[in-house]
Parts: sequence; C-alpha cells; structure tokens
Amino acid sequence: MPDESGGHVRHHSLKIGVSGIRGVVGEFLTPALTAAFAQAFGTYVGAGRVIVGRDTRSSGEMLQHAVHCGLLAAGCEVIDVGVLPTPTIQIFTGASGARGGLAITASHNPPEYNALKLFGPHGLFFNHYERAELLDIYHQSSFRHAGNDEMHSVSRDLDTPKRTHILRVLKLIDAEAIRARRFRVALDGVNGAGSELSVHFLRDVLGCELHAISVDPTKPFPREAEPRAEVLGELSALVRDKKCDIGFAQDPDGDRLAVAAETGFVIDNDDVLALAVDAALARKRGPVVVNLTTSAVIDDVAARHGAAVHRTPVGEANVVEVMTAVGAVIGGEGSNGGIIHPGVQLCRDSYTGMGLLLDRMQSTNQRMSEMAGALPKYHRRAGKVGFEHGRLGAVMQALEKAFPEAGVDRQDGLKLNLADGWLHVRSSNTEPILRYAAEARSAARAAGLLAAAAELLRR
Amino acid sequence: MMTQPLRISHVGLRGEVGRGMTAAHVMDFAAAFGTFLAEPGPVLIGRDPRASGEMLREGVIASLLACGRDVVDLGVVSTPVIQHAIARRTRRAAGGISIGASHNTAEWNALRFFGAGGTYLSTGEASELLDIYHLRKFSYAPWDRIGKLSFQEDAIDRYLDELNIVFRFDSIRNSRVIVDCTSGTSSIILKRLNDRFGLRMLLINEHVEGMRFAHEPSTSKRVVALQLAPLVVPVGASAGFLFDLDADRVAMATEQGEPVSEEMMMALLADDLLARGPGKLIITNLSTTALLEDIARKHGGRVLRVPVGRQAATDALVTYPPEEIAIAGEGTGAVMMPQFRFVYDGIAAMFAILRMMRERGKKLSELVAAYPRYEICKGEVPLVSQKIPALFHELRHRYADGMQNTSDGLRVDWPGTPETGARWFHIRVSQTEPVVRVYCEQRGEPPQALFEELLDLVKQYAG
Repeated sequence: MPDESGGHVRHHSLKIGVSGIRGVVGEFLTPALTAAFAQAFGTYVGAGRVIVGRDTRSSGEMLQHAVHCGLLAAGCEVIDVGVLPTPTIQIFTGASGARGGLAITASHNPPEYNALKLFGPHGLFFNHYERAELLDIYHQSSFRHAGNDEMHSVSRDLDTPKRTHILRVLKLIDAEAIRARRFRVALDGVNGAGSELSVHFLRDVLGCELHAISVDPTKPFPREAEPRAEVLGELSALVRDKKCDIGFAQDPDGDRLAVAAETGFVIDNDDVLALAVDAALARKRGPVVVNLTTSAVIDDVAARHGAAVHRTPVGEANVVEVMTAVGAVIGGEGSNGGIIHPGVQLCRDSYTGMGLLLDRMQSTNQRMSEMAGALPKYHRRAGKVGFEHGRLGAVMQALEKAFPEAGVDRQDGLKLNLADGWLHVRSSNTEPILRYAAEARSAARAAGLLAAAAELLRR
Repeated sequence: MMTQPLRISHVGLRGEVGRGMTAAHVMDFAAAFGTFLAEPGPVLIGRDPRASGEMLREGVIASLLACGRDVVDLGVVSTPVIQHAIARRTRRAAGGISIGASHNTAEWNALRFFGAGGTYLSTGEASELLDIYHLRKFSYAPWDRIGKLSFQEDAIDRYLDELNIVFRFDSIRNSRVIVDCTSGTSSIILKRLNDRFGLRMLLINEHVEGMRFAHEPSTSKRVVALQLAPLVVPVGASAGFLFDLDADRVAMATEQGEPVSEEMMMALLADDLLARGPGKLIITNLSTTALLEDIARKHGGRVLRVPVGRQAATDALVTYPPEEIAIAGEGTGAVMMPQFRFVYDGIAAMFAILRMMRERGKKLSELVAAYPRYEICKGEVPLVSQKIPALFHELRHRYADGMQNTSDGLRVDWPGTPETGARWFHIRVSQTEPVVRVYCEQRGEPPQALFEELLDLVKQYAG
C-alpha cells in the first residue's frame, strides 16, 4: 500500500511501554536498561527456565548478555537458543515448558534499533493486563534478587528449536507432494535470523530448487528491514532470471513474509494473507480472525468456504487473543504480512506462510499469478500523519458525520464500513502517528475515501 | 553497626549478591570501566567458581561490548592468571576485570579492575573510575561499533609455562605436597599442572564448587590448623599448602603437621628474595610482622611500611624502579614477586617456598624454626565511627614513648636491640568491615599484657 505521509512525524529513540522496550542502541537503549527490564521479566514469570534468542542485528549479542544478566539476577535459568526467528523462539518456549521467552529483535525496524519481545509460559504474548503488571514491576524496581544459593546458569540449545518449528509446519502441509514438484523458489533472507533456517527448510526439507540472496546472518541488512514491495526489486529480478515459481522475502526476525509471483510481481500483503486463508480453510473449515485494517478480500475468501471472519484491533496480540477465544483455524494481519496458524503457534510465522502457499500451488496446480489474479480485486490506500494529542476524537466525530450511512466499529480508532468499501483511522501502537486507510472496489472510490480522511486530518 | 552487604571503593565493587550487590551495580561499574579505559585493545575477563559469577560475567560482558570494547573471556581462572594474560598479550590489552570475592564467603562477589599490563589501578585511576561510576555518564558506542566477544582457552597453560621457566617443575617432580584447594580455582590450575608436567601434588577439596565451599575460604592459621595440618603427616607430605578461592593468597603447614603463621609466608620469601638481591626493598603494610626488619637487616635491605590494603601497596610499588624491590606483600599470605610482575599470586608463592626448601636442603619446619620467634596477637572491636578521633588522641598520648606512625590509624614501635627484638602495636579501622583491628607483636613470648590493655582501651570507645 502506498504511504502518503503528511505532517511532522516525531521519532521515539526510546519507548518503554506495555509492548516492551524498543530504542536506538547506544545512547538510548542501554545494556543496563535492558538488564533491568529482563530482571523485571524474570521477577514476573518467576524463577524457572527462560528461553532467550535474537535476530542478527549487530547489537544483538551485547543485549543478549544484558538479558542473561537480568534473568540470572532474578534467579531464572537461561536457555540460550542463539540467532533464531521470533516464531521459532515462541514455539520452543511453548514446547519446552519454560516459564517464558525473550526475543531480542526490533523486527522490521532499521538496524540502529533493537527491542525485546516478551513471551509468557506458552510462548504467547502477554495480554494487556499482564503487560501492565510487568511494567509496574519494572517501574517500581521491585525485582527479585537471587542470592548465590539461588543462582542458575546459562546453557545452550541451538538445534531443538529449529527441529520443533519445522515439524509443526510439516503437520499442516503435504511435504511429500511439494518435494515431488521440485519448485523453483527465490528467497531474500535480509541476512536475518531466518537465513539459515529458511535455506534448510526450502532446500533440504521441501526439496525446492532454491535461489537465495542475503542469507548470511553475519552481514548487515542489505535492504530496508521491512519487506515492502518497493525494496524487493532484487528478489523480483531473481524470480524472473531464474524462472522461479515463487519468491519469498522475510524481515530480520522471520515473522513477516512477502511473496513475489513467478512474474516477479510482489503480491499485496492482504492478498498473500487471503491465499493463506484459502489454503488453510481448504484443509479445515473454521473461524478466521484478522485486524480491522485488513482487506475485505478475506471476507470473500472465507465466504467461499462458509467460514466466519472476526475483526480485532490492530496488533498481533489482539488477533491472537480473539483466535484463542473463537478457536480460529487461521488468522493474521494483512498490512504487515503476518500469517498465524494455531497448528504451528499462535504467532506470525513466515514459515507457515511459505509452507501453506507451496502446498496450495502443489494441490491446485496453479501458478502464483493465477492464484492471486483469481482473488476479488480491491483497491487499498493508506496514509499517516504526525500525531497531535487530542486530535483523534474530533476527527472521528467529523468522519462519522461525513458518512452517516456507514456501519461504525470503534474497537481501535474508528472504522466506517460502507456498502462499497471502508475507511479506518487509528493511532499507531508503536509510533507517534495517526494511520488512516481506505479500501474500495474501484480505485477512484478508494482515493476519494482516503482524501476525505486526509482533508479532515489536515484541518 | 552491621556489616553492610555492599562496598563500593577504590578497590572496586564488592557485596553480598542479591542482598547488597545487584545486576545494576555490576553493569554500571563495568560500563564505568569501559568508559574509563583510554588505551585501545580488548578487555580480558575471568571469574572464580561462585554460582553468582555467571550473572556478573553476563553483565560485565554486556556493558563492555556496549562501550565498544572487545572482550576476551578466560573462563574460570585465578586472578593472577587474568593479570598475567593481560600483560602477556602481544597486541596490547586495555585492561581486565576479575570476577570473584577471593577469601570472602560464598554469598559475596566482587569486581576487581586491572589496567594495561595487568597492574592494579593506582589511587588516581581508581578515583577517576569511581567518579565515572557515580556520574553514570557512560560512553556507549553507536550500534555499528559494538564490541565482539571471544574466548581464550590457553591462559592457564601460558601461565604454567611462565612458572616453569622460573621454578623448573622437573626439579620438584618427586616432592610430595598436599594442597587444599578450598573448592576454588587453584584446583583447575594444579590438576593441569599434574597432567602436563607429571607432578604428584596431592589435591584435596579439589571439587570446584559454586555454592558450598569445602570450608571457609580463608588462609588464616586457624583454618590451616583445622583443615589441612592434620592430614600432612598421614599422607607423608613434605609440606601442605592451602589456597583461597581465587588463589591469590596461600597458607602452609609443615611436614610435621604444624600450621605455620600466615605472617611467615611473607617473611620466608623476603629472606629468599633478599638473599638473591641483597640491599633491595621490602614493601609491606603496618600490620605485618617485625621479623621483616630483622631479615632486611641481615641482607642489608630495608622495609617500607605502608597503610593496609592493596591500594597503598600498589601506589608504593610504582614509586620505585622494579629492580630495587625484592618483594611486596602482607601478613595475610598475599605476596607479590618481581619475577611475576608484582601480582598477588599464591601459586607462585608456593613454588618459591618449595624452591627454597630444595635449594637450602631444609625441611619446611627447619626453615621456619631458623628465624627468631615472634608472637602476634590479633583482635577486633566493633566500630563506633564517631569516637575514633578521640580513641586515637588518647592512644597517641598514652604511648608517646614509642615511635609513632599515623599513616593508617596508629602504629607504635619499640624497636629494641638486635638481642631483645622489636615490640609494636597497630590499631586501625578496617576498610572492609565495621571493626577496629588491634595487632600487637613482640619477639619471644606473646605480648599478652599489652594486647589486653589495648583491647580494653579500644572497647571503651566502642559504645
């Protein structure tokens, strides 16, 4: 989706909040602060095993030692799983019966950033109330301080997490049939945490003819960390040059996935999610959960299978909570390339996405461009504007007045559901900006809806 | 006043883990050190086997890397091994950190800092480090200039190679020695020594422990008498040695199973080293035996007495050319020798004693018996800081007939004649515990009357 930035956007060099800590390493995100947060985490989950891994950022090793220090100080036992994708860490946290897990990754943020992602006993994100409790412990510095007698140590397990992850994905798909097809696959690993696992998964496990770029975890990110279509030119060229059936691009911690068709065209994230939903529902019918900003194409695909769609506020944790509540068979977030399958783990996982799409290509015998082309066509537009405190309420009221015929959803900002499209305005969870997005069957209507929102926001 | 579970001072950071010393103290102190270091090069670290050592290690590594320093981890090694490894590097190291609380009990841990060359920080350097720590303005490197961690596996082997050059292990291959490792790092080093050089040192309490040490990690005569001395005769050893956790201190027992006063380690080695370099200087503290003056007189050397604590000894060391110094150390069994870069090193001290026995053809009991007998009384009284000036005022007046030294509390000497020998006392406030320490020594019989008189007086000021 093209971004139409407007207004002044403030940058937060350090943010400590209910979603954890994130910041620019060095002056802002310091090892001392990181260790203190880890000690708060260790205090919260209690003395027991905690899984710790990281992505390939240059600050990762340093911060991992700080995290170990804080956890040991709280009396936890640390299992260091090394450089791994975030979903792999979450899966292992759940599978190993640990008290919790920590991934040191700033996901799709630029390389100068880093952050801690925190997981509870089943490898799941904490809910809002748990996060607030953890944050209180941090702010009050009411840490558990283990004495010498209560100290545990750090041990390493570099292999079990990878094996566990792959076995989970293989349960969803017909690996034998995929191997038989010997798909030609292009991969852009952004030199991220998934680099080695992706090569192993696609080439060795699924028997693909793999053409990989940027799969050296010791090198810096060669492109923008977020796998947006605009920065995947190299992948598109590779797909065309090597006559690949499909191309995959990951973010540095392997939770987000972007997909290129055999034409080299990078498929819109919402459509990728729609294809994954289609693949999952084809194997098992059941509820689908996506966030409010995800395309209506999901509703169309689900309707074909007679499945219900539930909408949640934006944010992986929100989607996961509702997936648990309704017993969803698949879910995700269109805008950020996140596909969540409960059979693997209730978290965004690029490997689940790769597996489901290859499996769908195998079972339908269709090319990627055909599968994407067969989806109902929607036009989507999005924009963002620097946050001005107190503005959102007035904007929401004005929008509602401007579209009196709309169905209103106030779970996360304001979403107006119209007969031929929708408009959604909300404040970002992670940045000091207001995001707005619109979708319609025609390009002109989508642009018109977005312009209406932009106009009100400018006032 | 209770013993406080945290002490931040010129000698670094020391505390009871969890109760006083926290991860935050460790990380801030290591970041202060990373900020303080001026010279380029990596920082070498190592630790003793305390369970909390791993937590401290992780914090130290994170802070140093964040300051843009490469870190070389030597693993579980003795403090002298770390210091020698810093000094030995061909591509200079910027400094080092030893994680371990030496002779303190298991609940304690500490960080000790070394500069390039493996030397202890001078008082000036230590002050600067403390200022940076208190200011908490650390120079963290930007994200793309963070340091890298690596490991060095051969630090103990290189250390043994150096000891072998001076002490020639093959010459003591047949001597039977019993060593109490107190569950500490000396075990790792001496096992390796036995394996590599075919020595037959008999090691006890050699299981390295993180939580429950075989016994109190002290090198006092009392611990030697209790733990080591009774075993020497039954195993037929020619000597027994006992180390603290990080092997910077050592104590001994004779072949007859008698514990040797901790004061004698320094005295014996002073005699040995002065005999090799007559006229040189002995640097020691005010609380150490007057036998050192007798020994210095024999070899035409002299004794420089400085305040108690490593810091004063370190500052004194750098004011003399190394070739003018025979030995530096204290009556606790912590000794530094010039051949070994003036590092407190219990293992080197043990080999120096064994060499002395061999070269002089004497048993350990005979070596010890060859000196005039001094008896030292040691005591302590709880501290009331407010009353200390008045205490010293009274002491100075009451003992005005002796030679007075006020550089660390009060030491009063009555030197006597070569026939009668010296008599002295030293009263000072401990830097590590809330007590006033009282030492009193004379040649011949124990100075019981004077000692009790002093204790009574000090107690009047103890509230």
